[in-house]
Amino acid sequence: MSLLDIFMIAIRVAFSAFVPLCFIAVCVWMERRGAGFFQDRSGPNRAAIFGFRAAGLVQNAADGIKLFFKEDLISDHIKHKFFFVLAPIIVFFCAVMSFAVVPFADTLVLGGNSYVMQGIPMDVGILWFLAIAGFSVYGIILAGWSSTNKYGILGGLRSAAQVISYEIPMGLSLVSLLIVYGTVNLSEMAQFQGQLLFGFIPMWGAVLQPLGLIIFVIAAFAECNRTPFDLAEGESEIVAGFHVEYSAMKFAVFFMGEYVAMFASSAIIITLFFGGYQIPFLNTQALIHLAKPVAFLLMIGLPVVMYYFAGWIRRSNVSHYERENDPRVFEANVYIKCFWGLIAIIELLLLAILLMQSGGAATHIFVALLQICTFLVKVTMMIFVYIWVRWTLPRFRYDQLQKLGWQMLLPLALLNIFITSAVVVALG
Amino acid sequence: MGAKVKTIERRGSTLTERIYLIEIFKGMARTLRHLVRNLRDNKKLLVRHYPEVQPEIPARWRGRHRLTKHDDGTVKCVACFMCQTNCPAECISITAKERLDDKAEKMPASFNINLLECIYCGYCVEACPLDAIRMDTGIFSVTDNNRQSFIIGLEELLTTPGAYSEEDYKKGGA
Ligand code: SF4
Ligand code: SF4
Repeated sequence: MSLLDIFMIAIRVAFSAFVPLCFIAVCVWMERRGAGFFQDRSGPNRAAIFGFRAAGLVQNAADGIKLFFKEDLISDHIKHKFFFVLAPIIVFFCAVMSFAVVPFADTLVLGGNSYVMQGIPMDVGILWFLAIAGFSVYGIILAGWSSTNKYGILGGLRSAAQVISYEIPMGLSLVSLLIVYGTVNLSEMAQFQGQLLFGFIPMWGAVLQPLGLIIFVIAAFAECNRTPFDLAEGESEIVAGFHVEYSAMKFAVFFMGEYVAMFASSAIIITLFFGGYQIPFLNTQALIHLAKPVAFLLMIGLPVVMYYFAGWIRRSNVSHYERENDPRVFEANVYIKCFWGLIAIIELLLLAILLMQSGGAATHIFVALLQICTFLVKVTMMIFVYIWVRWTLPRFRYDQLQKLGWQMLLPLALLNIFITSAVVVALG
Repeated sequence: MGAKVKTIERRGSTLTERIYLIEIFKGMARTLRHLVRNLRDNKKLLVRHYPEVQPEIPARWRGRHRLTKHDDGTVKCVACFMCQTNCPAECISITAKERLDDKAEKMPASFNINLLECIYCGYCVEACPLDAIRMDTGIFSVTDNNRQSFIIGLEELLTTPGAYSEEDYKKGGA
């Protein structure tokens, strides 16, 4: 094993372990400020470090510190303290692990070796995700049971019943997808989606399997315990469900686990249905050939985008009341300068790509970076959909939830399998 | 006169509504419009930037208490204990003493209101026969670090000024 090999392993594992964790902050921020803006409020935007609010991101740090230093309370009536503590760990661990098989860039070829860009380079792919994501509900059930609390156990049971009923449509909608792709390996799936249908439509899962997409997304929402399927929490009827007895950092671990799970399932949805890391119309080969034109276009495009972005920051980041020497104007200027600095660095790197010989290692790394960025942008968009749905839809009633799972999604998923198999067989 | 009955049309039984998804997308389009509107111009958010921008408190609003005075600056209260008796939260405690300036027979020696127990119902104001206690200070935020400082006494009640003119206060129906 050469040094490069070890380095690449470290990079991959670090990426698939830390990016979900970093995205917790982004998710929470998007959730809270997004919720505010959806409902015509402003969301948390006051916490500041030396007057810098970073559009409310500082609030995350404040919340984190607060949760961290809170008293870690286990009330006396809890008999099974071990399981009580274990439960949030299971939830969090499973959420992080389920991201490990998602490829975030195409196989990177460096010095004759190829590296699969996913945390654990395994062939089991989607099966791993199903197994681990299904396992995380054990954490919730365990939390509910070991809380020795009526509300807790109700929440846990609801969650168990819900996951069982939605795992089936989810698995079935995957079957039709597997028929189309002919593989369970997520990397191969993403590569498959780099092709073009009829020569001009990206061959994404969403195009080939629209029904499968709808079923899978609904089931994924249910699997993440997100609105409209968050009956396990149901604060109006069972207070907070499974985590009613949890406080301080144990609660925070549940909370973070929820967001990591959201990130992971967004990543899976992207990989299965929206082309993964693929940039539409530019698969990896094309990108490697066109690295220089792409870099050139980016060099022109980025400053233009940044110009409008800076204008937006300047317009938005002002105090909305009479104030002398508004400090937020100064704040906005600092942000804008920081962003321009970032753009300048990126421009320099792009310039280096332009000057370098094409087809070399630098080009390959550039392409991989582009794909990682594409992947993260797509995932962020999917997370936005999660948030958007949460702040639009009310919660389902329990019988409605079960009815939807068994009477609508299950037959639809079966129908989808039949249609897909028929088409695949007919096309030979 | 019979009660007015409004029949509300039951929705949700047509085919498009039963498919859910179409209606869901409509709802999502609506919330997205709000998001985009607010992102483009965050002045449109329906928020008051509170500590800097204070709310307008109308004259009828029940804020912290004060004791009113005669024109010559002496206390109006005659220590009749009406407010103390009427207070549902039992948070007023008065001790009376003899009054020597011929305005009345008694006056309060001490007059304590425990603001932590007060429910701001305004019954003390209604009970007072002399309009000696009012809640027209416009103070709506009562905060401090220790419990003791929430018990306000005669001195503080007398020195806190009213926030409204006599006319505005009377317009409120007092
Ligand atoms: S407002 Fe109500 S509770 Fe408060 S002191 Fe007056 S009567 Fe008592
Ligand atoms: S404030 Fe009014 S009701 Fe209360 S003791 Fe004085 S005069 Fe009587």
